[in-house]
Amino acid sequence: MTAVSTLLMLGILATLGFVLGRRRALASVQGDSRRLHSLPHYYGWAVAIWTVLPASVLFLAWQTVAPLGNAGGFAVLALALGGLVWAWLRSSATFRARNAVERAVMGLLILASSIAIATTAGIVLSMLFETRNFFSQYDWTRFFFSTTWSPRFQGDSDLGFLPLLWGTLYISFIALLFAVPTGLFAAIYLSEYAGPRLRAIAKPLIEVLAGIPTIVYGLFALITVGPLLRDYFAQPLGLGNSGSSVMTAGLVMGIMLIPFVSSLSDDIISQVPQSLRDGSLGLGATKSETIRQVVLPAALPGIVGAVLLAASRAIGETMIVVLGAGAAAKLDLNPFEAMTTITVKIVGQLTGDTDFAAPETLVAFALGLTLFAFTLCLNVLALIIVRKYREQYE
Amino acid sequence: MTTETTKMTARSVQVFYGDNHAIKDVDVDILDNTVTAFIGPSGCGKSTFLRCLNRMNDTIDICRVQGEILMQGENIYDPRVDPVQLRAKVGMVFQKPNPFPKSIYDNVAYGPKIHGLTRSKAELDEVVEKSLRRAALWAEVKDRLHAPGTGLSGGQQQRLCIARAIATNPEVLLMDEPCSALDPIATAQVEELIDELRTQFAVVIVTHSMQQAARVSQRTAFFHLGNLVEYGETGQIFTTPRDPRTESYITGRIG
Repeated sequence: MTAVSTLLMLGILATLGFVLGRRRALASVQGDSRRLHSLPHYYGWAVAIWTVLPASVLFLAWQTVAPLGNAGGFAVLALALGGLVWAWLRSSATFRARNAVERAVMGLLILASSIAIATTAGIVLSMLFETRNFFSQYDWTRFFFSTTWSPRFQGDSDLGFLPLLWGTLYISFIALLFAVPTGLFAAIYLSEYAGPRLRAIAKPLIEVLAGIPTIVYGLFALITVGPLLRDYFAQPLGLGNSGSSVMTAGLVMGIMLIPFVSSLSDDIISQVPQSLRDGSLGLGATKSETIRQVVLPAALPGIVGAVLLAASRAIGETMIVVLGAGAAAKLDLNPFEAMTTITVKIVGQLTGDTDFAAPETLVAFALGLTLFAFTLCLNVLALIIVRKYREQYE
Repeated sequence: MTTETTKMTARSVQVFYGDNHAIKDVDVDILDNTVTAFIGPSGCGKSTFLRCLNRMNDTIDICRVQGEILMQGENIYDPRVDPVQLRAKVGMVFQKPNPFPKSIYDNVAYGPKIHGLTRSKAELDEVVEKSLRRAALWAEVKDRLHAPGTGLSGGQQQRLCIARAIATNPEVLLMDEPCSALDPIATAQVEELIDELRTQFAVVIVTHSMQQAARVSQRTAFFHLGNLVEYGETGQIFTTPRDPRTESYITGRIG
C-alpha cells in the first residue's frame, strides 16, 4: 500500500466518520437537533478529527523511520478506524462536540505558530554547524578583524568580513538616509494634507514601487543611475570614475524602500485619534505644530517599526547591490567607489563549483549567521526603543 | 453678577454641511463672567454652533459658515483674523477627555510653549502650576507631573484638559459636553470647577443634561432643529419658558 493510497483511504474514512457521527448524534435525540449540546455538524467534525488526527501522526512517524509499506498502511488505517469507532460511540446528545472541535482547532493554531518558530531554530542550527566547521579550518580572529577579503580557491584565502560589513552598512545607511525622510514626508502629506481623492490615487501609485522586482531596480541602477552619478557627480568632483558605486546602489535601494516607509507610516499616522488633533488645534496650534508635536510622537512606535522593516530589507538586499555597487569588497569612505555587501558575497561563494569542505565555501555560512545575528540585534534594539516610548506615554 | 459685559455676539449665523442647513439664523450674546448653557435634543446644532465660536469648523472641509460672530467688536470670520490666534483666545474642552500622549506637565505646557507665552522655565513652571490649581487638579498630580497624562482617571483627564485649555490664558472657554464621559463624582467636581472658572472667563457649555444646565449656568439657549428657539436667563427658561417647544423639551416631551 503506497502513501498516496493510504492518505486517500484516510480521507474517505474521515468523510464517512463525519456522516456517521452526525447521523448518530441526531439519532440519539430522535432527529430533534435542539436537544443536542452542539450543532449536528460539530459531531461530524469531532468524529472526522478523531479519525484523521491519530492516524496521521502515526503516518508521519512511520514515514520518517521507514517507507510506508503494506504493514504501515494497514496500521495507519486500523488506527483511523479505531478512532472513528471510538468517537462515533461518543456521539450522543451529552457529548460536548463543539468544545472538542474548538480544542482541536486551537491545536492546529498552536501547530502553525510552532512551525514558524521551529523553522527559525532549524535555520539557525544548520548555520551554526556549518559555521563551526568553518571556524575549525579558519582562525576566527582573522575572519572578524582582517580588513581584506580575497578568497582564492587554491587555498590560502584572506576572508576578512569587515569590508563586507562596511559595504552592507554603508549602502543600507545611504538607502535609509534617502528613504526614511522621503517616505515619512510623503506619508505625512498623504495622511494629513492631501484630499481623499488625491490620496486614493497617490497611495496605490506609491505602492506600485513595492511591486517592482528588485532585479528591475538593479537594471535601473546599472544603466541609468550609475552612469548618471558617474558623469555628473563623481567625475566632475574628482571622486573616481566607477559606474557602480555605493551611492548608486544606496539611492536605488532607497527608492525601493520608499513605499515600505510611506505606506506603513501613513496607516499608522491615520490611526492617531482625531480627538488628539482637535485638542491641539483647539489650543491654537497650527496644523504643522499639531503634526510635529502631537501626531508624530503618538505614531512613533509604529514609525520606528516601519523604518526597521525597511532597514532589514536594505541589509538583506542582493540584486540591487550586484548591479549597482559591483562585487568588489573594499573598505573605503568614498561613496562613489564600488563596494559590496555580505549577501552578494554569500551568493558569490556558493555559486559555481563548490567544495563544501573548503573554508572558501563554508565562509558563506559564517557570513549568513553574522548577518542574522546583526538583524536580530537591530530588531531587539527597536523593540527596546518602542517599549521605552510606550511606557512613557501609554 | 452686575458687570454683564458682552464677550461675543453672534448675528444671523448660518452653517451648512454640504447641502445640509445645520444652523439657521442664530443670534446669541455670550456674556463675560457667565456660564452660558446650550441645550437641546441630539442633532439640534448646539455643538456645531459652539464650534463656530472658535472656528473649529474650519477643519471640516464641507462646512460653510455665514453671518457674523463678533468678539470685542471684531468679526472672527474676517479674513484678517488668524483662526490659530483666535483659538488661543477661545479655548475648548471636548466631550471625551483627550490628553496628549505626553506627561501631565507637557500637556499643560503645550499651549504656552506654542504661543511663546513664557520666557523662562521657571515662568513656565509657574503657569503650569497655576493652571493645574485653577483646574482643581494640582493637589492630585503635583508629585507626578512627569507621569503620562493618559494614566489619570477619566475625571482627572478631563480636568487636565481644562487646565491645558486655561494655560493659554483664553478669554472664553468652550466646553462640548465635558461631563458626558464621566461618572457622577467626577461630574460634580467638574461642575464645581466650571462655577469657579466663571470668575475669570466667559464659559459656554453644551450639555445634554438639563439638570446640569440648571445647576451651572446663568444663561441658557435652547436649540431645536438648527434654530435657536429661546435664549434667556436660566431660571426663566426652566421656570417660565416662553416658547411651547422649550417647555416640551424641559418637561421631557420632545428630545
